[in-house]
Amino acid sequence: MVISRTHHISQQFDRELEDIRSKVLAMGGLVEDQLTRLLDALSKRDLESAEQIAANDVKVNEMEKEIDRECSGILLRRQPAASDLRLVLAIGKIITDLERVGDEVKKVARIIMNISITAPHRIHYVGVLAMGYHVRRMLRAALDAFARMDSHAALAAALEDPEVDKELESVMRQLITYMMEDPRNIREVLDAVLAARAFERIGDHADNICESAIFLVEGKDVRHVPMEDVRLSLDARHRED
Amino acid sequence: MRTNFQQWVASGSPWIWMTAGGVSLSLVMVFGLLFLIAANGLGYFWPGKVAAITVQGSADTQEVLLGEIADRETVSATRVRESGAKVPAGIDTVERFLIKVGNRDMGHPDFRWVAETEIKKIEYPPGVIVAERTEWGNFYGFLSELRDGGRPLPGASLAAKITQCMARSDALKAEIKQLERIDVGHINAGLERLRLRTRALGKIEASTARDEIAAKRESLEAEFAVLSDRLTRLRKDAQRDTLVLETSSGQFKDIPFDHLVRVFHPNAMSWAEKVVHYVQKVHEFTTDEPREANTEGGVFPAIFGTVLMVMVMSIMVTPFGVIAAIYLREYAAPGLLTSAIRIAVNNLAGVPSVVFGVFGFGFFVYFLGGSVDRLFFAAKLPAPTFGTPGLLWSAITLALLTVPVVIVSTEEGLARIPRAIREGSLALGATKAETLWRTIIPMATPAIMTGLILAIARAAGEVAPLMMVGVVKLAPSLPLDGEFPFFHLDRKFMHLGFHIYDVGFQSPNVEAARPIVYATAFLLVVIIVALNLTAVQIRNRLREKYHAADH
Amino acid sequence: MQQTIKDPNIEIDAPGEISGTMEEKQISHRAVPLEMPLDNVQDAMQTESFRVNNLFLYYGEKRALNGINMTIPEKQVTAFIGPSGCGKSTLLRCFNRLNELIGGVRTEGEITLKGENILAPSVNVANLRRRVGMVFQKPNPFPKSIYENVAYGLRIQGINNRRVLDRAVEQALRSAALWDEVKDRVQESATALSGGQQQRLVIARAIAIEPEVLLLDEPASALDPISTLKIEELVYELKQNYTIVIVTHNMQQAARVSDYTAFMYMGDLIEFGDTRSLFTTPRKKQTEDYITGRYG
Repeated sequence: MVISRTHHISQQFDRELEDIRSKVLAMGGLVEDQLTRLLDALSKRDLESAEQIAANDVKVNEMEKEIDRECSGILLRRQPAASDLRLVLAIGKIITDLERVGDEVKKVARIIMNISITAPHRIHYVGVLAMGYHVRRMLRAALDAFARMDSHAALAAALEDPEVDKELESVMRQLITYMMEDPRNIREVLDAVLAARAFERIGDHADNICESAIFLVEGKDVRHVPMEDVRLSLDARHRED
Repeated sequence: MRTNFQQWVASGSPWIWMTAGGVSLSLVMVFGLLFLIAANGLGYFWPGKVAAITVQGSADTQEVLLGEIADRETVSATRVRESGAKVPAGIDTVERFLIKVGNRDMGHPDFRWVAETEIKKIEYPPGVIVAERTEWGNFYGFLSELRDGGRPLPGASLAAKITQCMARSDALKAEIKQLERIDVGHINAGLERLRLRTRALGKIEASTARDEIAAKRESLEAEFAVLSDRLTRLRKDAQRDTLVLETSSGQFKDIPFDHLVRVFHPNAMSWAEKVVHYVQKVHEFTTDEPREANTEGGVFPAIFGTVLMVMVMSIMVTPFGVIAAIYLREYAAPGLLTSAIRIAVNNLAGVPSVVFGVFGFGFFVYFLGGSVDRLFFAAKLPAPTFGTPGLLWSAITLALLTVPVVIVSTEEGLARIPRAIREGSLALGATKAETLWRTIIPMATPAIMTGLILAIARAAGEVAPLMMVGVVKLAPSLPLDGEFPFFHLDRKFMHLGFHIYDVGFQSPNVEAARPIVYATAFLLVVIIVALNLTAVQIRNRLREKYHAADH
Repeated sequence: MQQTIKDPNIEIDAPGEISGTMEEKQISHRAVPLEMPLDNVQDAMQTESFRVNNLFLYYGEKRALNGINMTIPEKQVTAFIGPSGCGKSTLLRCFNRLNELIGGVRTEGEITLKGENILAPSVNVANLRRRVGMVFQKPNPFPKSIYENVAYGLRIQGINNRRVLDRAVEQALRSAALWDEVKDRVQESATALSGGQQQRLVIARAIAIEPEVLLLDEPASALDPISTLKIEELVYELKQNYTIVIVTHNMQQAARVSDYTAFMYMGDLIEFGDTRSLFTTPRKKQTEDYITGRYG
């Protein structure tokens, strides 16, 4: 698939595209940072930090709105085609996913604020925290793939998603055990379940971002397509080229 | 630092002034020319006052001249002295008058120069009569008496009687003319046909045919005898009344009424009467035949010949030029040959017209006409039919002369039609020929008309080639008449342009002819302008109709 | 002869093609297998109208078309896009052999219309042009009445029966969405119409003779945006009955009106495929650069 690196005849158009692209990366960076700090706060049970993280979500929302506005501006003014069109469409989806990731982070931050008061149930969060680190890696890989327009990297990142799902299953099993052990813990354990669930959602969003990146680079819609098939198709294409 | 002058030059004003000056100059020249011709020509029909001029002769004799003052000029006294007139010493220049005294049959020239110094007095007696005659020009005199078959009529109300007599003789003359033109013409044509049939029979003994011809001839001749008898009687009848006029020198002149065209009292006429007279004269000029070696009467045959020749020429040149242009523009493959043809066509327009005359005479008249005669009119030989200059050859020669103009402007018109129109038609499944006929040629008609206008303008003014291929000083009959086949392309014809040349330079009486030259020239201009305006009108209408993809 | 074509994309036949789309809804409710030939995505049964086989065209010594191969599907809109001088108009004019009007034009190869080679010297060009109508860049009504403009093609065919003509003229004007605007003045001059009306009149004139194919050579490039939209709407309507080939400079227009798009560059057919794919996921860099407006 062709992604042209040459300049547009309209350099203003080049600048506009570059501008939203870097804003998306900045937004990605912000969300990733939120997630990192969240994991930090979770491991340290830092109430203050959690509060700050929850408050920071507004910034993410603002960025989404801004980038969205710029995207519609480009659609209106430039009527982009081909890779330009795919870029704008992909960005439209990526920022939605990032915003949702932000929401999930906020959700977990609120949970931290609860557990830090009722503590000490640290043991419940070992598996959850591991999951969090896993999806953070995934998110970073997805954003990297988008930034470098690397469909293979995106595919690799997307292939992590089933792993996350398996991890969730095992964490859930563990937490259910805790609940069965001592029904008085149910409330606290449920918080941990919600956090695990949120991290799983973040993984799904990262997976969506990967798919958007593949669409951007390859022009193929790989949603709801088994990833193995996508890999085969990509490999075939690259052999061809 | 630029001076005012430099700024003025840079502003472009001088350029505007220069171009506008050029336009004004040509306007002044055009209108000056028209004015000169109109002023000289149109005045001719106005009834001028007749003066009675008392002239001091060389001795103590006095002479009274009756006539119109036609011209005046200032000359050196010596010249006047040499011509015999008395001029007192010490005068260097003298004004002298040209007096049209008429009365050519009275033994003196009808124009006379009189020096101012000779004139004793000038009067305008109201009783002067001007008699326009069919022969010998105008007669100036005083009414003496009116005779009816030799008997003088009683003196009272002679003026009214003159009118009566004029009316009677006009009626008789019309009848005579009718008989001569139509009936005698018919008989002559019949006799000519019989003669040709006899010749066609040759030596074959076909007695029935011969008898039949002889019988027909006899009946025609009998008819002719009756007619000629009637004509003789009519002519005699027309000569019954005579007008007796007295000249200023006391001589008397009998003028039969059938020789009179018009009798009037110029000095006694009111302004309204003069206008009526003027209109009558103009009418006569444009509708009558010429008299007196073309110096008097009308120019109708010349108008008719000019217009007819131009029309026949247009009918020939348009299809020919258009077809040639279509071939050159639409069909001929661009190449050396096509360019050569185009150059040849353009150069044809530059060939002097007299060369066309020579060519027309040699090729059309002798070669083509001779061949046509041998093939179709062998019976008439050696008398030529088409083997002699005539209307057809004139029209063809002029068509040849003007065809480049039509070709060039038609080609330009074709070239200006947008390609989209052609392609639009072709894309609808029309062939090239259908496209040409249905769309291209109609759209090119304004250009074709422009070409035709230019062709007419050029053809109507040409004289030189026509002198060789068909124009004559005096044609016996019009090319269009009641005799089969009605339209006689073989006949010679008269032409206004040639008429001007003939009257102006070949006439025995130059002074008498001068006004008529101007009048004819003016008429020629008017006719050409009329022909052009008609064509321009048609073109403009077409342009509006086909005002298509100009925008 | 009619053929079912496997893939309108003759030149570039990529096996592993996934139909790229920007409309999620359409795709999401059908399970689209990854390996999918193009023709299955589009309407299943399609017949070919024109087939171009290895077509070369020369203006004198200069080659203007370099071995074009393509198939124009019937009753679909096919758009030719590309920079000026790329040969798209030249190719269009091959379909009704209008190029022959220019001296020194030589073609090699073959174009078939329903299986019959239209470039053969034995073909009656006038008959071909009755089957293949054409509309030009600038409206070119004849300087005649509206009625006579529309009746022109029929009169050429020798139809002069007033009733037949009346019906055909009304029919054609209705099809061209012009009848309501001009029904009271069909005898007036066509040149008095506005540019957009003139262009629709020219379309009416072309469809009055009921061709199989309509060639549109930048039909809206001389018109204002509203007239352009009307023409585009008309193209959409006419698609029901005619095979339409449109040349346009305006890529958005090609994207709007066409089902298939061919991108040409310097006399080559670079890419030909269904419009949606070509405009979202072009396969060739030249196409990508052209439709995104980049330096080549």
